[in-house]
Amino acid sequence: MNEYMLFIRSEESPKSEFSAEQMQEHIAKVGAFIKRLTEEGRMKSAQPLEMEGRILSYQDGKVIDGPYNETKEIISGYYHLLAKDLDEAIAITKEDPRFEEGIWRIEIRPIKKVMGIND
Amino acid sequence: MTKNVHSDDLAEHFFRNEYGKMVSVITRYLGTDNIESAEDIVQDTMLKASESWKHSGIPPNPQAWLYITAKNLTFNLLKRKKVKSKYKGQLIRDDTQFEQIDVNAFSTEKISDEQLKMMFVCCHPAIPENGQIALILKILCGFSITEIAQAFYTNNETISKRLVRGRKQLKELKINIDLADIDNSSFDIVLKTIFLLFNEGYCPNQQNQQIRYDLCLEAIRLAEILNKHHSIKFQSQSSSLLALMYLNASRFAARTNNDFSNSTLDKQDRSLWDQDLINTGIHYLNSASKETQISKYLILAAISANHCIAKNFDETNWVEINSLYNDLIQIENSPITRINRSVAISKTKGYQVAISELLLLSEEINVNDLEVFHATIGEFYRLSQNTPKAIEHLQRALVLCANPRNSKLLENKLKGLS
Repeated sequence: MNEYMLFIRSEESPKSEFSAEQMQEHIAKVGAFIKRLTEEGRMKSAQPLEMEGRILSYQDGKVIDGPYNETKEIISGYYHLLAKDLDEAIAITKEDPRFEEGIWRIEIRPIKKVMGIND
Repeated sequence: MTKNVHSDDLAEHFFRNEYGKMVSVITRYLGTDNIESAEDIVQDTMLKASESWKHSGIPPNPQAWLYITAKNLTFNLLKRKKVKSKYKGQLIRDDTQFEQIDVNAFSTEKISDEQLKMMFVCCHPAIPENGQIALILKILCGFSITEIAQAFYTNNETISKRLVRGRKQLKELKINIDLADIDNSSFDIVLKTIFLLFNEGYCPNQQNQQIRYDLCLEAIRLAEILNKHHSIKFQSQSSSLLALMYLNASRFAARTNNDFSNSTLDKQDRSLWDQDLINTGIHYLNSASKETQISKYLILAAISANHCIAKNFDETNWVEINSLYNDLIQIENSPITRINRSVAISKTKGYQVAISELLLLSEEINVNDLEVFHATIGEFYRLSQNTPKAIEHLQRALVLCANPRNSKLLENKLKGLS
């Protein structure tokens, strides 16, 4: 099994136009997806991220705030997934019901294997 | 770490019901001129819940989770407002308001008070009927603009306009409702709006069965809030309306055939009628009948009850229904009531008398553009073997018919005649 980091990206909040009923359906659908993968042992962790935060950089000998991205897109959460290979990780990701509604982008990145550490 | 504790699913329509409660309570602190900010806070609260709950499961007390989050967001907004007005050297309207958001802000009693007030706010007489309903669905039922548009078979733009206009009026009117001071006429408007909402869902002429049934449920839920509240002095009317809505709702499933055509009362499978809803309806009817006050809703509920308790169509107590319609016409002499009564007349006195009554009606009022008039009189002619007259009226009804399900029914009848 290989490990994958999935970054859930969205522009602002795609759910802000949802009605109360749709919000409830969204929780039920995506919740069931995450729950199933967790129970199958494929999802090691799935967490939402707050919309605020800081970016720090090292510049001219000191740590400073920023620079911030100009884009509106933000990483709103992540999945830590186990899969046989990238194709399987992609197949699992495609099942995420959040794609049925709203504009989401999920970036799938294999976690690098370092010999003797997580190999 | 992802906690693997997903508690049971949320109660049905949980968010929808909590939406209206929270907007109403928060509006108490922000004022009716700021309902939109209250709605934004509730939307934010639900977004936070959505993010958190889909990952870690539903918390043990989801209601408390929402209320604490909403309270904090409200508190922050008021604090920002206060800072801003201090900076500008203005005095905030009531300096103490936000310190008062206490633990009791979301108590059951406050929620019921504030929801009730919100009903009267949305039904302010200065706002047109379709605006009142749109505001109720948006503010008290958490419907999205798209959902309201679907329910009314119109587009998002139309609904947006109604909401913008309605909110603007609320802003200008600066309404302050005192529950102890509610008079009969504002109560009548609220009942009427709830009944319109119910009928919007109940009239079977449009697609989207699910959302339409939801409208019926929401109407019943709002009427329950109204009826339960201790400050309401006109319980007999709200009980009557509840009786009527429960009794009619009991037939909801039986009215639609598998091919999505409509099934009229005489052809419905009565075993599909929801007996629980009928019993609840009868219960409300009994409690309303104890009062001396007779309302339109009470009579309509009694008529509906007569249908509900009849074993089959032929055993319906038409004499009783006919006399109830006579009472109703004393209160509301509308063409629709007269046409509905003509069905009872046809059962008690025969088709000829019923036809004469409808012809009399057409001399009094112009009913030439009413589909239901032509469909009804056409049916009477058909059943009394007057084929040319039947064809004439059924064809006219078909021309006026805007709804494919009824068209099908009319077309079938016409086919049988030619």
